[in-house]
Amino acid sequence: MLTLLLAIPALCAVVYAVVPWRRALGWLGTAAAAAVLVLGVVVSVGAVNRPAVTGLSGVLRADALSAFMVVVIGVIAVLATWQSVRYLDHEIARGASTRRHASVYGLLVQGFLATMLLAVLAANLGVLWIAVEATTVVTTFLVGHRRTRTALEASWKYIVICSVGIALAFLGTVLVYLAALHSGVHGQNPLNWTTLVQESHRLNPGVMRLAFSLLVLGYGTKVGLAPMHSWLPDAHSQAPAPVSALMSGVLLSVAFYAVLRFKVIADGALGPDFARTLLVVVGLLSLVVAASLLLTQHDYKRMLAYSSMEHMGLIALGAAAGTPLAIAAVLLHILGHGLAKGVLFLASGEVLLTEGTSEIDRVPALLSRRPVLGGIFGFGLLALLGFPPFSLFVTELNMARAEFQVGLGWAAALSILCMAVIFAALVSHGRRLLLGRGEKEQRQSTARLVAIPLIGGLAGCVFIGISAWPLATLLSAAARIVAL
Amino acid sequence: MTGSFYASALEIAVSVVLLAAMVTLWRRSVRAIVRSLAVQGFGLATVAAVLGFHLGDPGLLVVAALVLGAKAVVIPYLLTRLVRVDPGSRETQPLVNVPASLVAAGALTFLAFAATRSVTAVVPSIAGRLIPVGLASMLVGFFAMFTRRKAVSQIVGLLLVDNGVALVAFLATSGVPLLVELGASLDVVLAVVVLQVLAVQLRTRLGAFDLDQLTELHD
Amino acid sequence: MNASLLAGEALAAVVQVVALALGAPVLLGLMRKVRAHFEGRVGQPVVQPLRDLRKLFRKERMRPDQATWIFPAAPVVLVATVAVAGAISPLVTTRPALGGSADLFALVYLLLIGSTVLALAGMDSGTAFGGMGASRAVTIGALAEPALLVTILALSFGAHSSNLPAIVQATVLHPEILATPQRLFSLGALVVVVVAESGRLPVDNPATHLELTMIHEAMILEYAGPDLALVTVGEAMRLALLLGILVNVVAPWGVGAADSLPAIALGVVALAVKVTAAGVALAVFEVFTAKMRLFRLPELLAGAFMLGVLAVVSGLVVR
Repeated sequence: MLTLLLAIPALCAVVYAVVPWRRALGWLGTAAAAAVLVLGVVVSVGAVNRPAVTGLSGVLRADALSAFMVVVIGVIAVLATWQSVRYLDHEIARGASTRRHASVYGLLVQGFLATMLLAVLAANLGVLWIAVEATTVVTTFLVGHRRTRTALEASWKYIVICSVGIALAFLGTVLVYLAALHSGVHGQNPLNWTTLVQESHRLNPGVMRLAFSLLVLGYGTKVGLAPMHSWLPDAHSQAPAPVSALMSGVLLSVAFYAVLRFKVIADGALGPDFARTLLVVVGLLSLVVAASLLLTQHDYKRMLAYSSMEHMGLIALGAAAGTPLAIAAVLLHILGHGLAKGVLFLASGEVLLTEGTSEIDRVPALLSRRPVLGGIFGFGLLALLGFPPFSLFVTELNMARAEFQVGLGWAAALSILCMAVIFAALVSHGRRLLLGRGEKEQRQSTARLVAIPLIGGLAGCVFIGISAWPLATLLSAAARIVAL
Repeated sequence: MTGSFYASALEIAVSVVLLAAMVTLWRRSVRAIVRSLAVQGFGLATVAAVLGFHLGDPGLLVVAALVLGAKAVVIPYLLTRLVRVDPGSRETQPLVNVPASLVAAGALTFLAFAATRSVTAVVPSIAGRLIPVGLASMLVGFFAMFTRRKAVSQIVGLLLVDNGVALVAFLATSGVPLLVELGASLDVVLAVVVLQVLAVQLRTRLGAFDLDQLTELHD
Repeated sequence: MNASLLAGEALAAVVQVVALALGAPVLLGLMRKVRAHFEGRVGQPVVQPLRDLRKLFRKERMRPDQATWIFPAAPVVLVATVAVAGAISPLVTTRPALGGSADLFALVYLLLIGSTVLALAGMDSGTAFGGMGASRAVTIGALAEPALLVTILALSFGAHSSNLPAIVQATVLHPEILATPQRLFSLGALVVVVVAESGRLPVDNPATHLELTMIHEAMILEYAGPDLALVTVGEAMRLALLLGILVNVVAPWGVGAADSLPAIALGVVALAVKVTAAGVALAVFEVFTAKMRLFRLPELLAGAFMLGVLAVVSGLVVR
């Protein structure tokens, strides 16, 4: 089952590599993503309240947490691959891309999905590292897919900074391995997460302190947490919209998933305070950086990128609290943010395609000129700002509640202050972008094909905000794995 | 392998790794820097081989061969090709001059000692005492990345970081499991290939490998 | 300490100084010969520097009018300091007279007195080239000094002492410490420092006739006759002494611990062989090396400093 889950995007990538590009082939990627989603749901059903499923002779392993992440990847991937078809059509039509480039794009997107799935399904923390590093390698060309000067600049920064970060994470992994060997962890693989969690109380605290710090710094680079966040706005703003949606919606969370896994081990070895302090520091730092840079933003894609940084900061704070409630909220926030941000990036890609610029001030009165697209953008922003009934309202509230419960009230208060600043910034940018009076004759409709998945994504975000029903048991099972 | 021979062979191989890291800061010629990177890869492979013989672990010998192939042959070859593409980038112009860089590298080496105290305390073996050297190579790599503005020298800095981490892995834990090592080496080689392609594309856009021209994206 | 031992040590010291004074010019001649050979010339006879010296000593004393007492004093001070350093260094025996005072730091600063006085004399002559050469020489000396000090620190780890005879003796007793990284690194650093201090390529070209690129030669441009002879002897002795110390740190074989006549004779032969080998190697290296730009010299010496730091570091690691 798990092997199949990995094989679907891998096979799809092979098809893209072999078969010459034609338009229908674009939908194959969507089909593969849908299949991943369906399988993810099946795995989730199997993983709730049952021992973890393993596959590929123990290399793969899926518990409730992994299953939930697979679902998140599947959902955003469906949206992004759907929109990719339109992006490629447009690029080929305006002559910026050849058919070969389209094939490469399809191949890399599927490779991207496969590596992310491997990351969340890896039983071995070394394999997890390999998979996260591989996502960097695969996505670099996706970031630079438009091959403009700025896109190349962004992809250079992206791969260099992320490779450095991920090297730190590897050092952290090595130190965890050292601690495991030294505490006499036996079994055929001391880097297996389950073994490490069982033995975590015996791991050397001095080594684990250094190791976890390096891991937070290293994987934090890929999460986009300060202080190694500088690649994030560049890469997200320069990548094609569907890739931005995937990166912002899932890749950041997949990297955070790695931090969560290690947090369990660190909590076992060091008690909850060390990981908590560290996560609070990076979380608050990210919030402050995001808030200060959002105030003066002129580019709506960069604005969305910094907003991702904000939400990753919030998630880090939630994880710092670490109670079951907080972890469940964190996970649901990952999904809600993925949906909202995915929709917004896809919508912004549509705006960029039709308006030809990503500067806020040069795209006025979107709502009156393009009501559907503008509406989607507006509702997406509302979701991002945490308005009810979108799920981000519920999750942000619950994360803050959990933070107060564990005595992190001051951090929660600071985060709310930052969010207020961000609220003001986003509302002001959104107003410039959306409101105003447009010329009547410029009024354009939005292709139904574009609008449907985006509206569907927002509806999903509302739905999980109102009722967490299909996910409740899965979330609580996943939260039990990570929570203190 | 007798104890004292093992010890001095290991010490010398580890020193070669650190020396090669320092030489990349010392030399200006990009070719020489790439060569010293190859020497570092060779030193790293030797460390793995010496440990493999000492522990009688055939897996480590395989890893040594792998490291030798990837880090002493393939990656330097790729970088040499990159240098050949752009004759204008044969010399680096460091932001921090060479003597100051070397003094900084010396300071970083001592910092590495301070930072790894908790780790060296856990590993009382000969190899364990050498762990700070790996961290030092890593820090030198960071320094090289921040102060060298040519594409190739930045890739070299990245690889110095990577080699430093690999050295720590060998010394602290006699290497990570074979599967992880395989994947990690593959990732590194692929990353270098990607960087190489990117550098060539950048050159066609910018006309040089000079990263100081990458200033369009900022806030 | 009994009288015969004292006599033996005194004898050894005298032998060392004499060997240095006579051997150094021959070494210089040998290095020139090697160079000539590689350049396809026949070259001067090996003993030509000795003949030059004899000629210079017979010449009339000529000194600049404006020069003060520093100018005539400098050559004497130079030769004297090098001779003292030569007497107390472990060249043919590990127990030279007053060997206890042959601390490496003391030796370094003893040799530095000679260089400093020469630089002062260069400025004292009042000519432009003298001042320029002096400033360059002092610059190089100042850059080489930190490298040298760090290297000495690293060398002292093995012997738990910075006393040079003790270091050599420790190496004789435990030759395996030669293969430790700290020794290899310090060797590298020492080579660079020795080359820089003795004004050889690629730091300075001893055979240059182009004033603008001169360092050392510019400094002593105003010397003539017996004064020049003394300077030349002093400089040659310093080169030989530095090479001698270097080879004895690296390969201390043949350095006797006893002060009997045969031991001293053996020591002299061993020293001659090793220094000759080192000198020839240096000459060969010089053939294939171009002089470095003056502004790049700090980088070379910083490299030596880095090697010294590495040596200290590995000394700390290995213990």
